[in-house]
Amino acid sequence: MADAIRKLVRRLGPRKVSTDQALVALYAREPSGLQGRAWAVVFPESEDDVRVIARTAYETDTPIYPQGSATSLSGNAVPENGIVVSFERMNRILEVNIIDGNVVVEPGVRLDDLNTVLEREGYMFPVDPASSAVATVGGAINNGAGGLRGAKYGTMREWVLGVNIVLADSEGTLLRLGCRTVKCRQGYDLTRLIVGSEGTLGLVTRAILRIAPLPEDTVYALAFFPGLDSLMGAFTALRRSRINPFMLEFMDSKTVEYASRHLDLPYTPKGDMLLVGIEVNREAAQRVLKDLENLLADHGAERIITAHGVEEARRKHLFTVRKNLFAGQAGLTLDRAGPGRRIRVMIEDIVVPPSRVPEAVKRIRELESKYGLTVFLGGHIGDGNLHPAVGIVEGVDDPQVVEEWFKDVMRIAVQLGGTVSAEHGIGLLKKEGLRYDLESRGSLKALSLMAEIKRVFDPKGLLNPGKLV
Amino acid sequence: MSGPNTIDRLRTWISETAGRCIYCGFCESVCPTRPLGPHRGYGPRGRVAMARLVAEGVTPLSNTVVESVYTCLLCAACETKCPVGLPIADIIRAARRLYTLEAGFSAREEKGRVPAIARR
Repeated sequence: MADAIRKLVRRLGPRKVSTDQALVALYAREPSGLQGRAWAVVFPESEDDVRVIARTAYETDTPIYPQGSATSLSGNAVPENGIVVSFERMNRILEVNIIDGNVVVEPGVRLDDLNTVLEREGYMFPVDPASSAVATVGGAINNGAGGLRGAKYGTMREWVLGVNIVLADSEGTLLRLGCRTVKCRQGYDLTRLIVGSEGTLGLVTRAILRIAPLPEDTVYALAFFPGLDSLMGAFTALRRSRINPFMLEFMDSKTVEYASRHLDLPYTPKGDMLLVGIEVNREAAQRVLKDLENLLADHGAERIITAHGVEEARRKHLFTVRKNLFAGQAGLTLDRAGPGRRIRVMIEDIVVPPSRVPEAVKRIRELESKYGLTVFLGGHIGDGNLHPAVGIVEGVDDPQVVEEWFKDVMRIAVQLGGTVSAEHGIGLLKKEGLRYDLESRGSLKALSLMAEIKRVFDPKGLLNPGKLV
Repeated sequence: MSGPNTIDRLRTWISETAGRCIYCGFCESVCPTRPLGPHRGYGPRGRVAMARLVAEGVTPLSNTVVESVYTCLLCAACETKCPVGLPIADIIRAARRLYTLEAGFSAREEKGRVPAIARR
């Protein structure tokens, strides 16, 4: 340990390496509630710095844990004895190329900061996890992040054209993978392999990302249904209508009730909730909005609030209940905890085919009574991604019960033809789930192949060890 | 208000209040000092975590902690983003009060630290 840190300080300078206990502790946590340990934090400022770190780690057999802003939720960014490599100082947008439809960025660029720059050009980077205000490009690539626009725009794997990575070998080898073009055949698709690899194969030092034009206009509707059947009827009709919403968010009635407890809203939040967002041509906006309203009403929606454009949607609080999903769960748990007790919020991230969402919801609700837990249930129904969440009060709730619940939710996803993680990644919390998923498909060998791939890229097993495989 | 009871009360209050942070980091997006500082300690999430570590005696009061806590502008922009409604500015005020009582940091020193980050 001391040898590695001494070498890093000598090679990078003391400004880029810290062993201060209080500072290191800030890089050993993530919102999942998991807490790890690290010896030092290193702050590279260039690809050359990253190469020095990788080479030094290889020489000294030191584990390295790459980090963006540590907003991951599956234990992906938690260190366990080694050095954290924080990419926060590599945060430059190197190129915006509208003609080619891409940007070249360093890994520490925050997603919302990228969008602030792109908006001036009438463009956007469409992957928008809930943490986009602080989540970085590097973290989003490594976790294969998604978001609210996932129903139309998918996840990071659709938007990464190329990456530069540094290998943990004796040279700190730099590889420039992928292209600046959408069409790109370079043998095996190593760029796609890096997306979602959670920092276990290489250190991402640069990315070429596709961008999309901002929609000319948008319309929104928030609808409350008397039951899941009518909501799913509306959902199915929306899919058949070829409208292709970019946002299709869902919360079940109980969760709507919990999440809106302390909210002052201009409508009554009651029932199973569907939030729809559609990109339209300006001339078509009113027609599409009317069609959408009629479709929702025809399928039994009891209250429908519509908005033309995102500003009106915000003014009418169309997003407020959905955005309060996490805060609502945290608030409810804090109320239960009282003063002095700490809490954690465990957020699941399963995905099922959208047509199986009603069954998934029903079975998750059944688990709630089985385990005696209060479960918040919402998610991105447009792509079948559900985020049931449970709050834990330390010293009151039995973490083992929550762990069992967590596993049961993953089993439901796999049994319904889905998988254990849609956009948060495997990290530490989903490793058992990944094994279960592959085993249930008769494809456990895939796990061995992943372990082999890891060995080829990272023979000493130094990159984010213990995660994913 | 001073003396050992005050110190204990401050320690307990900081520990309990900062202990409610769920470490989501949403507060960092609006913090005016975070982009100017060299690490996470220059944002609310880091400051709250450091204040708690010191209050609980897990880590000593180091220069890093002092820089972190004393570069906060107390603008409370972070509080508008906190999903659990932490009184972040009050945590910082309490931490400063604690360090003043325990280690004798003065208001003049505190003022002297704020412009320092603008030079980074």
